[in-house]
Amino acid sequence: MNVTLLIDAIIFGNLLVLLSIGLTLTYITLKIPNFAHGDFATIGIYVAYYFLVFHKISPYITLPIAFLVSGTIALLSYLLVFRPLNNRGISIVGLMVASIAIEVALRSTLHIYADSLTNVYKVISRGFIFRDFGIRISRTIYIPGLLIVSTALTFTLIITLYILLTKTKFGIAMRAAIENPDLAEVLGVDVNKVYAVSWFLAGGLAGLAGALVPFRMPANPEIGWMLLLRVFSSSILGGLSSIYGAMLGGYIVGFAEVIGIQLLSNPPFNLSTAYRPAIPFAILIATLLLMPEGLASKIKLEKITAKIRGVKKQ
Amino acid sequence: MILGITDPIRFAIDISAFFSIYLMLSISLNLEYGYTGISNFGKVLFFAGGAFTAGALATRTIMNLYSSQIGNYGPYCTANVIYATEASKILANNPTLAITMFVGLLILGGIIGGVLGYLASYPAIRLKESYLGITLLASGELLRIIARNYDPLICGSLGVSVPDIFAWLPVGVKEVVQVGVMLAIAFITWYFVEKLVRSPFGRLIRAIRDNEVAAEAFGKNVVKIRMQVLVIGSAIAGMAGVLYAFYTKSIHADDFMPLKTFIVWVMVILGGAGNNVGAALGALIYVLTERLIMQYKYMISAPFDVNYLSYIIFGIVLILILLYRPQGILPEKPSKTISFEKVIKKIKQE
Repeated sequence: MNVTLLIDAIIFGNLLVLLSIGLTLTYITLKIPNFAHGDFATIGIYVAYYFLVFHKISPYITLPIAFLVSGTIALLSYLLVFRPLNNRGISIVGLMVASIAIEVALRSTLHIYADSLTNVYKVISRGFIFRDFGIRISRTIYIPGLLIVSTALTFTLIITLYILLTKTKFGIAMRAAIENPDLAEVLGVDVNKVYAVSWFLAGGLAGLAGALVPFRMPANPEIGWMLLLRVFSSSILGGLSSIYGAMLGGYIVGFAEVIGIQLLSNPPFNLSTAYRPAIPFAILIATLLLMPEGLASKIKLEKITAKIRGVKKQ
Repeated sequence: MILGITDPIRFAIDISAFFSIYLMLSISLNLEYGYTGISNFGKVLFFAGGAFTAGALATRTIMNLYSSQIGNYGPYCTANVIYATEASKILANNPTLAITMFVGLLILGGIIGGVLGYLASYPAIRLKESYLGITLLASGELLRIIARNYDPLICGSLGVSVPDIFAWLPVGVKEVVQVGVMLAIAFITWYFVEKLVRSPFGRLIRAIRDNEVAAEAFGKNVVKIRMQVLVIGSAIAGMAGVLYAFYTKSIHADDFMPLKTFIVWVMVILGGAGNNVGAALGALIYVLTERLIMQYKYMISAPFDVNYLSYIIFGIVLILILLYRPQGILPEKPSKTISFEKVIKKIKQE
């Protein structure tokens, strides 16, 4: 197997995992797929780009800022739009329409920002990429910095999230609020606060993933929207309401897309690489037809961990 | 010159043409969302299906029928503008062919829209609203990507020219006739949907929207009926796509961005979901705003494309409507029934 291809797949998988976990975090609060999720990632891109161009700071160093800015925008969209709408008892479809409206508004704002960068500051604002560092191991193997950073980041965040959700008081309250909001409220959990934190985390994770995207592919204000299909595909493959499922789905879709298009673009298929989005789409359709509850329903990670714990206790 | 508009007749024709296309789209979405509660986020898929049908077939059909009269200008895609002009010349001398082709493609566009509606919703129609919305949206993007890269359909990223189907009428008259035909088709569609939602079927779909479980308990096949509504709505959108292709006379894959779907949603929610007059009003407001922005945007000097500003405004307006007037400008009204006095009179007579 080609090492470069494997590295590509891991990186793409990492980015999708970060995005899918975020999408799942917002899905479990209001039960709507947030169509603006990709744009939270694009905001991360432009935050990183701003610091790179105007202050010459590496995007790796400004990752926390990307996290904060995207997280804040996500939080504001929850506080100003989704929470008031939800309190007024609007239907699921109405909430989805609102998320599309936010998507269009955010994407257009980013286009305006990109246009202004070009016209006012004479800076390239579409199709830029970030220069990465890397380590050459042998003549054929070259490890890009992004592989190390994105893998370390993804795993650190997954472990942090796991500890937050299972070991801290706030995390347990959060799971309770997500599972049964009414019951949790009766028991004194501030459901609104929990949901707000979920949205902030979701936006932040998307911002982190976004800030890393230009190391791999040319960025523009549309890229988050284009990534969104992959994110939906991996989240639905994971079951849409399981964070661990989203993780698994992200890697499966990432690997399938990178390796799949490599296979399809070579003989005997000779397909154009422009058909790349067809792969996550095929996974999406296959998931909906064969197991609409997603992988999480098949694997039952919680049961497995419970079993292991049970064995240990005996 | 009125209000800086150099050609008011041309402007009015343009507005009427786009109004009739958007009316068909908004009325079909109103049938799906307003009356049945289906989250169709892939309206552009069916619209594109119809437009691509006309784009792919119109010139090619004439080339096949009259191959002796059309010279060889090279491969179809690189020379499709010349081929479309040649096809227009043939249509100019042959009104019967033009009308047959127009009607034939309109019907075919409707059928293709309907078939796409069935196929695209099949995997998710049994599942939650969110799954259906995602699937339809993704299907629309996939069709656009295929159209942009698969040359035999509409010549990939080059786009394709569509012959002038009303070329047999004199210049000056044909534009008016074309727009008249488009408006007529749009209003027939409007009337059809209005009749449909006032029929027993209309009560059934509203029952499904309001309480799916109750409708199911009364023995109604909810999935089948939702599918039927989507197929009808998609067929209307497909026909709108054919009209669009013949009006703009050129089809590009990138004209069919998911943004088009969003615009139709703005119309329905602004005008009033579940009210067909509202859907028409929403379409009219949108078309007027959009055309006026296009007319006057050169007067605004900004370091960015003014269109983006209008999208932001549409997004904010939509959210404000959802927040403060979720029923839209014209709210849904209860079904028209015979007046109480008339019923009493009738009973007394008997």
